[in-house]
Amino acid sequence: MRATDVLHILGGLLLFLAGALLLPLPVALWFDDGAAGAFLLSALISLVAGLALLKGFAGSRELGLREGFAVVSFGWLLYALFGALPYLLSGAIPAPVDAIFETMSGFTTTGSTILSRIEPLPRSVLFWRALTHWLGGMGIIVLSLAILPLLGVGGMQLFQAEVPGPTADRLKPRIQDTAKLLWGVYVLLTAAEVVLLMAGGMNTFDAVCHAFATLATGGFSTRDASVAAYDSAYIDAVITLFMFLAGVNFSLHYYALRGRIDSYFRNEEFRFYLLLTGGATLLIMLFNQGAVYTSLADNLRYSLFQVASIMTTTGFGTADFEGWPVLSQYLLVFLMFIGGCAGSTGGGIKVARILLLLKQSFGQLHHLIHPRRVYLVKLGNQPVPAEVLQGILGFFALFMGVFVVASFLLAACGLDLVSAGAAVIATLGNIGPGLGSVGPVDNFGHVAPLGKMVLILCMLLGRLELFTVLVLLLPSFWRR
Amino acid sequence: MKILIVGAGQVGYFLCERLSHEGHEVVLIDRDETHLRRAQDRLNVLGLLGNGASAEILEQADIRQTDIFIAVTDLDEVNILACLLAREYEVRTRIARVRSIEYRSHGAVLSKEKLGIDLLINPADEVADEMVKIASRSGAFDVAEFVEGKIQFLGYHMTKDSPLCGLTLRELGELRGMYRFVVAAIGRRDKTIIPRGDDGIEAGDDLYLFAHEQDLPAIQYLLQGKTSRSRRGPRVFVLGGGQVGQRVALQLEEQGCDIRLIDRDPLRCQQLAARLKKTIVLQASGTDIHALLEEGLEQADVLITTTERDETNILCALLYKQHCQGRALALVNKPELLTLAPSLGIDACISPRLAAAGAILKYVRRGGVVSLATIEGSNAEAMEIVVREGNRHCEVPLKKLDFPANAIIGAIVRGDHYEIASGDSVLRAGDRVVVFALPEAQSRVDRFFA
Repeated sequence: MRATDVLHILGGLLLFLAGALLLPLPVALWFDDGAAGAFLLSALISLVAGLALLKGFAGSRELGLREGFAVVSFGWLLYALFGALPYLLSGAIPAPVDAIFETMSGFTTTGSTILSRIEPLPRSVLFWRALTHWLGGMGIIVLSLAILPLLGVGGMQLFQAEVPGPTADRLKPRIQDTAKLLWGVYVLLTAAEVVLLMAGGMNTFDAVCHAFATLATGGFSTRDASVAAYDSAYIDAVITLFMFLAGVNFSLHYYALRGRIDSYFRNEEFRFYLLLTGGATLLIMLFNQGAVYTSLADNLRYSLFQVASIMTTTGFGTADFEGWPVLSQYLLVFLMFIGGCAGSTGGGIKVARILLLLKQSFGQLHHLIHPRRVYLVKLGNQPVPAEVLQGILGFFALFMGVFVVASFLLAACGLDLVSAGAAVIATLGNIGPGLGSVGPVDNFGHVAPLGKMVLILCMLLGRLELFTVLVLLLPSFWRR
Repeated sequence: MKILIVGAGQVGYFLCERLSHEGHEVVLIDRDETHLRRAQDRLNVLGLLGNGASAEILEQADIRQTDIFIAVTDLDEVNILACLLAREYEVRTRIARVRSIEYRSHGAVLSKEKLGIDLLINPADEVADEMVKIASRSGAFDVAEFVEGKIQFLGYHMTKDSPLCGLTLRELGELRGMYRFVVAAIGRRDKTIIPRGDDGIEAGDDLYLFAHEQDLPAIQYLLQGKTSRSRRGPRVFVLGGGQVGQRVALQLEEQGCDIRLIDRDPLRCQQLAARLKKTIVLQASGTDIHALLEEGLEQADVLITTTERDETNILCALLYKQHCQGRALALVNKPELLTLAPSLGIDACISPRLAAAGAILKYVRRGGVVSLATIEGSNAEAMEIVVREGNRHCEVPLKKLDFPANAIIGAIVRGDHYEIASGDSVLRAGDRVVVFALPEAQSRVDRFFA
């Protein structure tokens, strides 16, 4: 691995962050909330550090596979470190670990928070929280659609086999084009949500922040009670719709905007995603009816919102699902593991992987009675290469392994069984709220610093599809 | 008519035989002297040694006076090039045998229109289509469709258990009030006869009949004495995943059959599994009977063998027949083996050569003759003819007409109506008539409708 190359690029990335840190400045000045200085200083520090790396280390033109892994992993980590500066400098979050937790939660679009009160914070800091989501979402789109497939990781390899079009099979000319197209879709959807939320009576600031958090499937709200604070069926419906859309592969949105609406239903992953969302909503409504809600309309409104919020790994709340029947909670935990579609901003294992795991298992069963059968796992009529299937099996095993180890560590930090498991899946799946002491109306503030660090790592691992980060742990990665 | 055929392979040979028999002037071009001599010695054709895609040879063959040009060598490119040359010489009808999907698919860059070829024939496709037709008509071993599939020409093999055995046609005629069909011919040992009222049906006969598609279920019930037993689609075993096997499986999949496709080659199995949706692709040898029994060979309704080797096809079909009650269809290339197989107990042997030649003959003789089926192993034909305006036999009951002997009218289709022919039926201009004729009567049938 050529460290100088990596540091050079990381320097460049820091310059972008310095620019991003200036964006909340107008908000700070407009509301005169006293955080303008913190943002200026943070931007300056990032600028200086970035320039130092950029000038201090010479970069070569060609970027190798190993350098790619290192840039992606350390880049995200660096953003979490420098992005935490405004929280610290403004005094909004005094403890460094907490500030880094909050920033990592933002950039990985997780939405877990250590804050117990949100509303007293300066508006510009709240805007920064939402902005980290939105920028993280943009990063994820490029990452999942363009960079990870090049590194041989991620669910998009599957999608490439199925749909020709804006996929990144070559890095140089197409990666920028692909990213621009999909960012266009992302920006368009965000703008649409802002308009629709404002039409429902939300103020501009809240509408922008919530739209940022929705499209990135983040979950940071500007209100203590999250979306429940507005208590409006219209706002619930708008956010439900956009959460659902954000959990869909953005390439499909691109096709739809180009007039090919049918590409949604041609996509097997989308059909399965729709089935899971619909099926889970119906079941949860069945369990909740009478037990929690008496009116069918209320039941639909709250159940659907929670299913969409958890399934897409957003994590907004309109109801405290810890008060729901155990079976409803169980289904929600189940959905936490599944997550959104490949190529969306959602986290989790991803619908495509679950679908292929099921098909693969079915094939194994079939093999017992048809030992001579040549069975190919297909996605949308296209056979999935054996290497991809093995990658998925490996991913699933690692995901479970990380889950077990991390929840053990959390339990060691003093969390009870449910809370420890839920805290890990909520961060590893980039969801946000968990169950128990980290439930939808609680926060992660009470977790010990070591536990927080484990969760920070979980967020990073989950976001970067495990392999990208774990490969750095191989000794042979560092040897030439 | 003057017909020029390039390629003295199996298809070419068969076409020469049929066309010269019908009194056409046939010239055959081939580069292989032994092939050419074989055809020349046995058939009444003029052979010419040389490259069929060379203008010089074609001029020697008097291409300027030729009405129909048929290129059926083994090479697509030669056939296409020969047809392009024939176009330059303004031959009216040009036909080529082309295997590659490159030219035959929809939206091909070089389509047959651009190449100026009237008919592209691929023997593998023709034989696969034929097999699918037979496989999907339970009980029948030979099927041809006329008048857009409304009138079906079916061949049934009579076993000892058949309820029709021992009946004479007159007795059968009394049943006809219930079951509307015409017995066109009976194949008995090596002969094909057109039966009269006193002729009886014996075990071992092949019964050929015309019927409307609506009456098929009732007729199948009558012939077999039982109805199909299960709710699921018929279970079909296909041996060999080549071009023919794959096409058969693809088409049977659409009809809801439960298919097992067997091939030895692991790589080909992978490709087949990728292409086919519901078919269970098995990687096994065709003779690995234990593996096939485990896959439910005993419950098979139809067995289709489509490997490259005739011997494998026939032997495997016989092997499977030992283990199940299903019908066996075998792909057989060699003409010598075609007549042998039925006597061994294989229900139908289908030859790519006959299937392709049948399609070519059908096309060549369009005009009056619309559709044509050739009965395996004999030269008798079923054909669809349009009654032309001003035909002198119009409006006269059939029994008063002097219809050629050794030929029979099966059905008359008039607009949306159809009629199973009887003595009182009359012909009108524009009617489409389905006729069955033995070889000796074919030219007289042509004259009757001229």
